[in-house]
Amino acid sequence: MNRIVNKSGSGIVNKSVLWRKIKKQLVWYSFIIATIACLLVLTYTPMLTTIKYSFYKISVLGYGETFIGLKNYTALLRSSGFNKSIVNTIILAALNLTVIPLGLILASLINGLGKTRAQSFYRIGFYLPNIITGVSVVLIFQIVLKADGGILNRFLSYLFQNEIKIGWLSDSSIAKLGASIISTWSGLGYAMLINLAGLQSIPREIYEASEVDGCNRIQKWLHITIPQMNTTFIFLVTTNLISSFSRFTDLYILGQNSASGRPGGSLQSILMYVYQFSFETPNYGVSSAGAIILVIIIFTVMVVNLKFTGFFKKGKE
Amino acid sequence: MRKKKIIRAITIIGLFALLVIILVPLWWCVVLAFDRTALEVLPAPSILPHEFSLFNFQYAMEMIPLGRYYLNTIFITIVNTTIAVMTSLMCGYAFAKGNFILKNFWFIFILVVMMIPFESRMTPLFLQYRKWGMLDSYAPLILGNFAYAYGVFFARQNIMSIPDSLREAAYIDGSGEWRTFLKVIMPLSKPLIATLCILQVLQNWNSYLWPLIVISSRSKQLISVGVSLFSASQTTIYYGPRMAVALISALPLIIMFLFLQKNIVESVAVSGMKQ
Repeated sequence: MNRIVNKSGSGIVNKSVLWRKIKKQLVWYSFIIATIACLLVLTYTPMLTTIKYSFYKISVLGYGETFIGLKNYTALLRSSGFNKSIVNTIILAALNLTVIPLGLILASLINGLGKTRAQSFYRIGFYLPNIITGVSVVLIFQIVLKADGGILNRFLSYLFQNEIKIGWLSDSSIAKLGASIISTWSGLGYAMLINLAGLQSIPREIYEASEVDGCNRIQKWLHITIPQMNTTFIFLVTTNLISSFSRFTDLYILGQNSASGRPGGSLQSILMYVYQFSFETPNYGVSSAGAIILVIIIFTVMVVNLKFTGFFKKGKE
Repeated sequence: MRKKKIIRAITIIGLFALLVIILVPLWWCVVLAFDRTALEVLPAPSILPHEFSLFNFQYAMEMIPLGRYYLNTIFITIVNTTIAVMTSLMCGYAFAKGNFILKNFWFIFILVVMMIPFESRMTPLFLQYRKWGMLDSYAPLILGNFAYAYGVFFARQNIMSIPDSLREAAYIDGSGEWRTFLKVIMPLSKPLIATLCILQVLQNWNSYLWPLIVISSRSKQLISVGVSLFSASQTTIYYGPRMAVALISALPLIIMFLFLQKNIVESVAVSGMKQ
């Protein structure tokens, strides 16, 4: 419509057309302005500030910020505490990945039931732990995994007819395993659900064709299901890694609300290290550099994922 | 056929056994919460409480202002969910159907945020709010929700599939973009709104790190942080009351889950697949 009116030469009409156009722009902008303003002030500004701070030495904020280049980074990468937190985080992330194959097996079993009431019962039942609030999960598992009288140790003692007192959460050499039991318990339902959705989106025809060729269940699973689930796996691995790398809440609560990573620093994640230098013993330069390193790690994981899932190709279309 | 039936029966029984094992910790929590004997000494696991009583709950309610934390958390959850869902629908509509200068730029501007973890801006954001004198108020918990990047992305995908003819019909009736949005798009987006609401409620009820940083008064705290602060401050662990607290803080989401199980499971599955 605008195009037609545009061609008419009269100045008055042009003015009103211009006004109409501006008004139209303003109307559309009124839909997005709050979000954009929020992002500018509360996301982009602080993000750039983090980058800036990471190059500065800041003792007291507002007094004496001196530019020191990459010194915060080099100091961090040389500090044993930060490196330990990176190692901790990587080990915890790796342990946490087991939830994906477990979820796939569970999803395959549930999917085998067909679209029945049994299927929807199990789908909902296994998802239930995922809904329990993080703090509650930690409080419950502090007792379940207790060295003396916890359910797991009692069960193991019964199984081996021998008194077993493993400090799942109190012994620093094994606490990572204990913490992973917790995250597996609460994350299994999600892994199952996404895997199940992936399984159910595989076209039936492929299976039917393979039946004609005389494939058995296991062959079908290996040669059709696993390759077809590629995108689902990549999605799960990425989201899992991202949340593992920025893991904080449960480990912080396990350490009795301290970011030191009790027991014995074995559960200090990168984010907890950053938190320590932001809020417990403030050194904003160091904590900002730590945050940037964390972001770089997470970003790398994301880009690798996007490459695998062909996001860049889709964007070009 | 018979073999198939047997396999099916074995699967059903096996899955049931596994489900029971997974739910044992939860059941034990419930048992301990109602057990009068569960204090400094952890009682042996049992299927039912050794001595049934509501004492642990009374004790817990006296020790922690749980009611207060509940109200705070419900308030924040409702406000944040409303803001986040409403603004993401507005943006979703503009980016799906709108035609304005720099549209693609702003869309990417919003999407990029999905890829930048919150941790990268946490500390300066805290300092910014401190400068504005807004710490220990709910402003820092609420204001950030005007930009729910994932919601914008998801809303745009959904609104794009609404046929343009419906909008055109509304224009002929003389309604502007805002009226079209409120009267045509919103009512057609009920499943979308439900999904985003569910995701937001789950996220808000579980938020921990940010409230821990910005809220310092005990009376303003949200439930997760409040409960964990309390349990960390105890020198002796009273097992029964502690489990009562765990149960009370998890209860609203469990109840919501029991009512909306199918919707919640669908929402989470969809949000995972549509990436």
